[in-house]
Amino acid sequence: MMRWIAPFRSAFGRPMGSVAGGWLVFLIAVAVLAPVLTPYDYDVQNLANAKMPPDAAHWMGTDEFGRDLLTRILYGARTSLTVSTVSIGLSLMAGLTLGAAAAYFGGWFDRVVTTVVDLTWSFPEILIALILVAIIGPGTTGTMVAIAVAYLAQFTRLTRAQILSLKSETYIEAARSLGASHKHLLFRHLIPNALAPVLVAAMLATGDAIILEATLGFFGLGAQPPTPSWGAMMSSGAAQLFSAPWIILLPGLALTLTVIAINLFGDALISALDIRTKLRDA
Amino acid sequence: MTKHHRHLWAGLGLGALLSFSAPVMADELVAALKGAEVGVSTYDMLKAINSNVASTLIYDPLIEQNANHGYVPALAESWEEAPDGLQWTFHLKKGVKFHNGVDFNAQAVADWLAMFKGTDFEYYLGAVKEIVVVDDYTIRLDMTRPDPNLLYNLSTPFGGVMEPGARKADGENYGLTAAVGTGPYKLESFAVGQETVLVRNDDYTWGAANATNTGPANIERIRLREIGEASTSFLELQTGGVDMLLGVPQEFLSEAAKLPNVKLMTMPDQEIWYLVMNVTAAPFDDIRVRQAAALAVNRQAIKDNLYGGAGNTPSTFMISSLPEEKVADQFRIKFDLDKAKALLDEAGWVAGADGIRAKDGQPLKITLWTQSDSNFRRVTEVIQAQLKDAGFAADILTFDSATIRDQYKAGTHQAAVRSYFYDSATILDWFFGGDRLGYPNISMFNDPKAEELRKVAMTGSKTGEEFTKNFIAYHEYILSQFPFAPIYEPVGNIAFNADRVIMPETINSPVFQRAAIMDLKLAN
Repeated sequence: MMRWIAPFRSAFGRPMGSVAGGWLVFLIAVAVLAPVLTPYDYDVQNLANAKMPPDAAHWMGTDEFGRDLLTRILYGARTSLTVSTVSIGLSLMAGLTLGAAAAYFGGWFDRVVTTVVDLTWSFPEILIALILVAIIGPGTTGTMVAIAVAYLAQFTRLTRAQILSLKSETYIEAARSLGASHKHLLFRHLIPNALAPVLVAAMLATGDAIILEATLGFFGLGAQPPTPSWGAMMSSGAAQLFSAPWIILLPGLALTLTVIAINLFGDALISALDIRTKLRDA
Repeated sequence: MTKHHRHLWAGLGLGALLSFSAPVMADELVAALKGAEVGVSTYDMLKAINSNVASTLIYDPLIEQNANHGYVPALAESWEEAPDGLQWTFHLKKGVKFHNGVDFNAQAVADWLAMFKGTDFEYYLGAVKEIVVVDDYTIRLDMTRPDPNLLYNLSTPFGGVMEPGARKADGENYGLTAAVGTGPYKLESFAVGQETVLVRNDDYTWGAANATNTGPANIERIRLREIGEASTSFLELQTGGVDMLLGVPQEFLSEAAKLPNVKLMTMPDQEIWYLVMNVTAAPFDDIRVRQAAALAVNRQAIKDNLYGGAGNTPSTFMISSLPEEKVADQFRIKFDLDKAKALLDEAGWVAGADGIRAKDGQPLKITLWTQSDSNFRRVTEVIQAQLKDAGFAADILTFDSATIRDQYKAGTHQAAVRSYFYDSATILDWFFGGDRLGYPNISMFNDPKAEELRKVAMTGSKTGEEFTKNFIAYHEYILSQFPFAPIYEPVGNIAFNADRVIMPETINSPVFQRAAIMDLKLAN
């Protein structure tokens, strides 16, 4: 475990990493503690109080339905972080399994996986996600599955490339000649050594997934009302762009800061792990 | 080059392409269609489910309506009804030609009318027994019974006269790649969901008298853009991408009024927003639950807070200007949250600690369908909250406006927020007729008594008065069964760039369509 904690500590130790990581920790904390941090419900409308500008009672103003915007941004962080981490987690697990198996066993299985992955890789993630949401149906579950599938190709390719290069390493040959099983080779030697760049890619993909979740939310295909989602909040704020600009600007700002923070922390992690070359090659 | 770089370059290329496309021409009016008119799938008016202003420019009807809903001659210069209502004779204008050069005459009208058979609009001519060509410019309709709504049917956009030969020759492509009428504009191109481009019919001299200009039109070319998002269309007006918005959402009115070159005008509208409930699906198969949902909708709050107090709070299914809307007060659906709660109590739905009701351990949970554009989502979210006040837990499910009709046909929906755009009482037949279940009858309402009243209303009226009386009876019965709840009746707001567009002083049509555009001019 310490093996994986150390790079994160190292990333936190870097100036940009500490700022970005600090924001992410803060965001996770306020998302988890949202119910105790705010006196307002995220879903209770008060139409008479709609589109109030920021004041002492509502620090970020109210939305078009009179709901406290800060409360909705905090709960929206839950949606964004949950959807992005769960979907990228699913994608990562599936990509690791497929990529490792394809590279290790080779043959027809590798050819099939490579062909399918290359095919999906040629489509933009948003297109794949939109098609899948249309099939599965809108909502949080549909969004998570759609994002997971959209990023599957990335993790599969990366894992496969890593395993292929590790397979010919001397220590793997040595382990194999000593009679190590497939399971031992894969789970003891290959996957752990291939994991660092894949995890960093997952970190960076989480930022993309937050944007993708917001995009689907913007089109009304993500989390369904009244569940707050930054994308859906920006979408409804677009109609109030001139009369209540804070409704679109503040969730947009939260989204921007979060994605920048994830990317900066990802960069710090790359430096800490010293894997820039491996990522570029993959 | 990485994938991200490829996307970046592709995006930049596309952006550059778009920025250089569709230049604004000096004698071209660029208008954004109103939200309710976005999504027309064809200009074949016998296949179209909805229509937009373009159809009134491509096709002339036999008869048009003026601003007071009176009838004025269009392609028919006069008409008379036999005293017993069993014959209608139309005298047609001479010298009229279709866009493809074919002469407009009685035979063309007869062939066009024959095409109604087997379409969704067959009921327009439901009382017509025989179409008789009396001479080249006289046509007679022999009726099985009097039909006081015949003139209205012939005056709607769906009554636009299509050239029968062109419709037959183009087959499935008719309405998409070609649309041939006698109207003041010819169809140049139609990109479904994007835009319709029309060019002036220079031979047009036979315009209806509800416009000052009877032809040709003043503007050479019209580009009608379909912009789903209200904020985008407003920005387009602000930046000169469009000259005119044919519909301005209420939330943009104050901002539009601040723009120095933009003028606003208001016209009556023909739209009703409503909550429709599937009477065959639990829990809405219980009339008390339907009534409770209908009474939980606070129309005044929606009008005041979402629409700045503009528009009307409907209590029936029809726009307020129709005589058939004047039902007895006891049938009007009005907000009454206490009664809604009492009805749910009576139906066995008991309120829980969180306010959500339950019965036999099952929560009062429903799925509320809506469309993906922002106005639908906004109204639906308020309805969701208002239903929650009565004890419903409503989950919203959003569909793209292009696919939702197919979803309705599957019949799996429970409730939906919808709007329609029509100004005749026959809309009840369209949305509640027992033979149109799924779509357009989304409520799945198929009641023997309603069908009996529908038949009387649709086929048993000899005069206009009887028509109104029969439709009021049908309307009242539907209201008593609560398959829907009215939500909002908007007014029509139009915004235009006064540096580009010269608006006529008076517009003598019920809504902004052909008559208004005939008198419209572009500033030099």
